[in-house]
Amino acid sequence: MPNAVALKVLVVDDQESVRKMTALTLEQIGIRHIHEAENGKKAMEIASLQPIDLIISDYYMDEMDGLDLLRAVRGHPVVRRVPFILLTGRGDRELVVKAAQAGVNNYLIKPFTVQVLRQKIEQVMGKLS
Amino acid sequence: MASFEQLKQTFFDECAEGMQQIEQGLSDMREGLGSDDTINAVFRAVHSVKGGAGIFGFEALVGFAHVFETTLDAVRRGDLPATTDVVDVLLASSDVLSDLVQISRAGDAIPAGFGDETRVALERLLGNESGGEEEAPADFEGLDFVPVRADGAEPDDMADFDGIDFTPVRADSFVTGQRSFEIAFTPNADMLRNGSDPLLLMRQLRQLGELELTADTSRLPDLQSLRPEIAYVSWTGTLRTEATREQLQDLFDFVGDCEIAINEIAGEAAVPDIPVAELPVIDVAPPVAPAVAPAPVQEPKAVEPAPQSINPMPAVQAAPALAPASATAAEKPAAARPPKPQATTTRIELEKIDRVVNMVGELVIAQAMLGQIVHDLPEGVSDRLSQILDEVVHHTRELKDGLMSMRAQAVGTVFQRMPRLVRETAAKVGKKIRLELAGETTEVDRSIIERLTDPLTHIIRNSVDHGIEAPDVRVAAGKSEEGTIRLSAEHRGGRIVIEVSDDGGGINTEKVLQKAREKGLVSADAVLTEDEINNLIMMPGFSTADVISDISGRGVGMDVVKTNIQEIGGRLSLQSVRGKGTTIQFALPLTLAVMDGMVIKVGRETYVMPMSMIVECLRPPRSSINNLVGTRGMLQLRGDLVPLVYLGDLLHIGSSADLSGECVVIITDAGDGTRLGLVADELCGHQQVVVKSIEESYGPVPGVAAATILGNGAVALILDVEKLSDLAGETSSSVIAHKAGSLAKVA
Repeated sequence: MPNAVALKVLVVDDQESVRKMTALTLEQIGIRHIHEAENGKKAMEIASLQPIDLIISDYYMDEMDGLDLLRAVRGHPVVRRVPFILLTGRGDRELVVKAAQAGVNNYLIKPFTVQVLRQKIEQVMGKLS
Repeated sequence: MASFEQLKQTFFDECAEGMQQIEQGLSDMREGLGSDDTINAVFRAVHSVKGGAGIFGFEALVGFAHVFETTLDAVRRGDLPATTDVVDVLLASSDVLSDLVQISRAGDAIPAGFGDETRVALERLLGNESGGEEEAPADFEGLDFVPVRADGAEPDDMADFDGIDFTPVRADSFVTGQRSFEIAFTPNADMLRNGSDPLLLMRQLRQLGELELTADTSRLPDLQSLRPEIAYVSWTGTLRTEATREQLQDLFDFVGDCEIAINEIAGEAAVPDIPVAELPVIDVAPPVAPAVAPAPVQEPKAVEPAPQSINPMPAVQAAPALAPASATAAEKPAAARPPKPQATTTRIELEKIDRVVNMVGELVIAQAMLGQIVHDLPEGVSDRLSQILDEVVHHTRELKDGLMSMRAQAVGTVFQRMPRLVRETAAKVGKKIRLELAGETTEVDRSIIERLTDPLTHIIRNSVDHGIEAPDVRVAAGKSEEGTIRLSAEHRGGRIVIEVSDDGGGINTEKVLQKAREKGLVSADAVLTEDEINNLIMMPGFSTADVISDISGRGVGMDVVKTNIQEIGGRLSLQSVRGKGTTIQFALPLTLAVMDGMVIKVGRETYVMPMSMIVECLRPPRSSINNLVGTRGMLQLRGDLVPLVYLGDLLHIGSSADLSGECVVIITDAGDGTRLGLVADELCGHQQVVVKSIEESYGPVPGVAAATILGNGAVALILDVEKLSDLAGETSSSVIAHKAGSLAKVA
């Protein structure tokens, strides 16, 4: 049973307000170690330099979108096993199918509640304590 | 961690940026300049507004943005052609979205039915009359998606997924592909002596996968000098394995001080979408000596994400790595590839920057004081000091410039509001007008940007309302039906020059003159040049519109625009050619924090006068001063009469300056176009001064704009020339002089 306090989560979103809101919501479920990245490149940098337990990334981003990032993570020697949750819009059904093929662990539709976020994380990481 | 409220503000800031992108993109599309990237950028911006609005709970915003986004998506996919009609609806939608953002930001309730018309138009484009907004699902129903447990364990919350065919999948099941590593190994010469054997190591490597090695025997000496206990041979080769780099590294860990490089070959990675060369790799390998040239060289500072720290792969090997990447790039929506990579930015409160600006100001002052002291020192001592001081001066200037560039903003932020203004105003008056923008990237200090919007809005409204003629009039004059307004900005001589020009009818000089006479602004028999008449429209209380329209004739005339521009140290000029059009130009300083000033002496006091206000300085001969009754004198200047004002009197300080002795007259151009000669004792020189507000401490002081600190540490007041001329007008003795001055100009 993973401990929420010990969990290190990387939030990737180029929209600052949404990224910070996601971080705020993560705090509400007891997660204390939150890293933020505003693009895929930064995300790879952070993830490869320190242990990250979970990546939560938005899809719509400049240059490298969430799917690109997912593929980059899965192709990277160091971080390829890090669980990945993709943030999507409510209309992005086909995207989830593509993401599943690329090895996504779960998806999360924006906007989301604290409960849904927790549920989606627990589906990947196991029940949080 | 920021609070919800702060994040909401951030969201609205993002919205403002997004709205600009949307406006710009759609305007480009309407001009036929749009590309796939343009529509994608617009789509993404609307998507971001929607996404954020959803999270911060602005439902009406989400609802409208959703329909807007769906329509843009259809255009982006090519399902809906981007015809002028379609883009017009999109432009109208961007206006509605912008309004919705404004209303939400203000915290007001969104009026029922707001934007419905546009929304219906969008839905019609989509061929969807229902307009129903589906509820936001927490999950995609019926989607065959199974969350993947990170540890591969059985999920314990099966109950949540009733009816779904659940098969647990290990988190790493998708990365089973083998990977290849390039290995270069040069044993330490003493390796064998220390009891290690390279052969053992190679056997262990072989157990991990397919190993291919080439021995480099070039360092083997001839038989006579060969010493068997020394390791001469080095190896390079490839290993195809499922093991990770760390596992390989572990093997080499106990062989001691050897040169090892392990590099993954990207082409063999399981999901090689991005060439590894772009990704940061942590590498702990020690540097490889140049002796083993064929081996991939690894820089010791490889922890940096810089591309050069990664193994430079031979072209043949790089090719398979790139191929799958470009294939996937072609498949996926081009949304991910914007036209230009955006610079990474960080938001800093303006207040914080202002504090630093203030500190740099202090630094400049302290440095000026230091300069003064160094200057006064005996020469032998001061040489070395002034050398260092020069360096300090240089760095301070760079610091100041760097800081100013941080505060600088592209004028595009203001320009981008104008297309909508032109569109809406033109539609109201039934004209066809195209707005051309140029130099949007020209940067200027934020404080100036903020004060640019109002004057610019007014000038452009004027151009639309008065400048450009009605379509039938244009056609009759042999012009194209569509009028053009051009808005441009450029840096010129340390100032930013903004120009609004139109190809309209120009200023109707007869009408202006007639109006000016009616209003008593000009005497009935005065003869004016065309330029002088054109400039009459900038006099207070002037408006020539036949009917006061609700667009530009709100009693706020060009005089207010002129005052606004002058307040920020700018000068406004106007040229007009009958039948050809009007050009209004204004030059602004790049910053308000540092100003070009003329240091003057009045009595024993030192003042600074903004250079932008000064027309000329002169030492007039006694003969050119006329003493009119009730005035302190009029200066005869190239046929004009300029009223004189004694700064000593105006500022209530004793001054020796009178026109019999030595004195300087500074001719200024005050707010209303009237020239005024200010009499001072001495000009001390031109100098850049740091503007320090005194309003916080003293409230507004008439005639004084701000203060500054001079090199000798003395505080000097910066004079507000415009207010001074008003003050001069109020002083009973100079009332007549003032009026006489106005008349003199006209006469």
